[in-house]
Amino acid sequence: MANCLSSIFLAISVTTIVMPVTADTVSGMVYADGTALADVVVTATPSNYTGKAAQTETESVSMALDQKSREFVPHVLAVRTGTPVFFPNSDDIRHHVYSFSQAKRFELKLYKGTPKVPIVFNHPGIVALGCNIHDWMLGYIFVTDSPYLTKTDVFGHWSLELPKGNYQIVFWHSDSTAVSGLTGESIHVPLDRPLHHNLNLKARRQSGKPPNSLQVQGYKDGF
Amino acid sequence: MSMCQSIGRYELLVKIVLIGFSIPGEAKPDFLDFSVHGLLDLRYQNLDAQPGETEHGLGKFRSGGDNNRLLVNEASLVLQSRLGWDWSGTITLKYANKQYNPLDLSEIFLNYRPVSTSAWQISGRLGMFFPPISLENTGTAWSSPYTLSSSAVNSWVGEELRSFGGEARLNYQVDTGDRLGLFAAGLAKNDAAGILLAWRGWSLGDYEATLQDHLRLPENIGIRSQFPRQAILTQPFVEVDGKPGYYAGVTAERANLYSLRALYYDNRANPAAITNGQYAWHTRFYSLGLKAELPWDLTLISQGMSGRTSMGEMIDSKYAVDAGFWASSILLSKSFRDHRLSLRHDRFGTDENDYLPQDINREQGYAWTANYNLTLAKRHQFNFEISRIVSDRPARVSLSQTSQQEETLWQIAYRLFF
Repeated sequence: MANCLSSIFLAISVTTIVMPVTADTVSGMVYADGTALADVVVTATPSNYTGKAAQTETESVSMALDQKSREFVPHVLAVRTGTPVFFPNSDDIRHHVYSFSQAKRFELKLYKGTPKVPIVFNHPGIVALGCNIHDWMLGYIFVTDSPYLTKTDVFGHWSLELPKGNYQIVFWHSDSTAVSGLTGESIHVPLDRPLHHNLNLKARRQSGKPPNSLQVQGYKDGF
Repeated sequence: MSMCQSIGRYELLVKIVLIGFSIPGEAKPDFLDFSVHGLLDLRYQNLDAQPGETEHGLGKFRSGGDNNRLLVNEASLVLQSRLGWDWSGTITLKYANKQYNPLDLSEIFLNYRPVSTSAWQISGRLGMFFPPISLENTGTAWSSPYTLSSSAVNSWVGEELRSFGGEARLNYQVDTGDRLGLFAAGLAKNDAAGILLAWRGWSLGDYEATLQDHLRLPENIGIRSQFPRQAILTQPFVEVDGKPGYYAGVTAERANLYSLRALYYDNRANPAAITNGQYAWHTRFYSLGLKAELPWDLTLISQGMSGRTSMGEMIDSKYAVDAGFWASSILLSKSFRDHRLSLRHDRFGTDENDYLPQDINREQGYAWTANYNLTLAKRHQFNFEISRIVSDRPARVSLSQTSQQEETLWQIAYRLFF
């Protein structure tokens, strides 16, 4: 988790370095029903931004999405378009990771260790990950053209270093009731106040974690 | 440590069995690995019920009496192995109280499920497996996380139904996340299914018949005098007439939200056939099931079944036994952390339209089941359950019982899952 988060910050800092403009910190909190909400992807896109040009300015930093104790870690990974993602398997059992989301369709047969070749996410969109062996496993890769991206931590907190200007801020959460899970607003940087957002979540949610009883975890009737 | 050693011995056994299967494609000898899960089920029961199936009676629970008892209800091992990326194998080996062979198989099948990166997905099963009727029995060795005794429909599925054959399924995933599916199976060895519904009627229990099982028929209600060729015990899984049966159905589901299943089953048995004391019962039915996850962690499961079973030579367009059967149930369950509270209502009945009025097979009744369970450390489950069945079966008069009976079963269970 920490490694992946640091990769995000690394990606952000790389972006920041190549843009020789002083940056201001914009931060905020995301809640759902008054409770801090983790794993909300936050992106900031300058209003005059043309994604393609900016993308060539940075080299893609590879990232990783692990499988630990039969769940995807992190549950949500935010990457820029074109980012290679490694899928290590830290469990000593097999995983069979797949996605048939339109943004990226792939299948990875994983047994111990890390595959040598990463999966490159070339199209923006939401990639839902599953495991053919463990039905409950669920993870997301949020692929975006935006140059600035981060995720809320367990306290619902996020922050981004943004150069002065106008931005479209977008929030995404897998269980948000908003269309495609996306909500947003326009801001001007510098901003002298934190941004507080409240998201409405679906009533029934999949955690992506193993069932909390071995009765259900240890059996598949095959249907 | 001793458990690990015994698991090791089972792994060896299963390796020997599974290597016997020929798996097409990418299976490699070093691919075999195993997960071993299981269930130990200890019960304390307080009964106020008529003798049931285990005592050749017409009681609505598996066993009857007016007493308390402590028993090892079940001990099961489920061995699952991956035989390739697309194939897995499952074997469930079971001991249960008053099971014909103390240790026997309740399922053994291969599962084919390749990953699909398109919206279409195919999968299949081959072997001995449960037809996809129950929406309750999703736990280790076909146990239910909700109640100890299954609904009337699922109790019967456990006792008399198993698919011996192949099943194929085609799914289509809609962009909304809903998955729509078609499935069909060809099956054999299920020609005796229906005999218990006709002669004993519906019941509430948690017994899954095994490969070589023999179940008990009611005595002293005239079966032996009218059907002298019928063996004293019924064998649920025999092929009597050599005619395969089938089922086919549709599904719609969305993970964590709802599951809908409908199927039509027909064992296509020839009602006039009999082999080794086992009649073929032509049993066909519709089954419908809905499971919905509601707000406040409430789960709703409702199932219904309606069909007929016919046996014997046809005379004047009537069979010797021809019973219509139907049952339905609705279950509401609420989970909160490690606790679960479930309440279920069952209604059931049979009627008859045959040329042997002295063989009385009609009945009707209803049941309530309430269960509270607590699961600690994922594996220790404590259950408190009460089931009450009110039923009217005129054939009971032959046993000097009143036709209408009210039966109650209190149970405390400790179930260990591993």
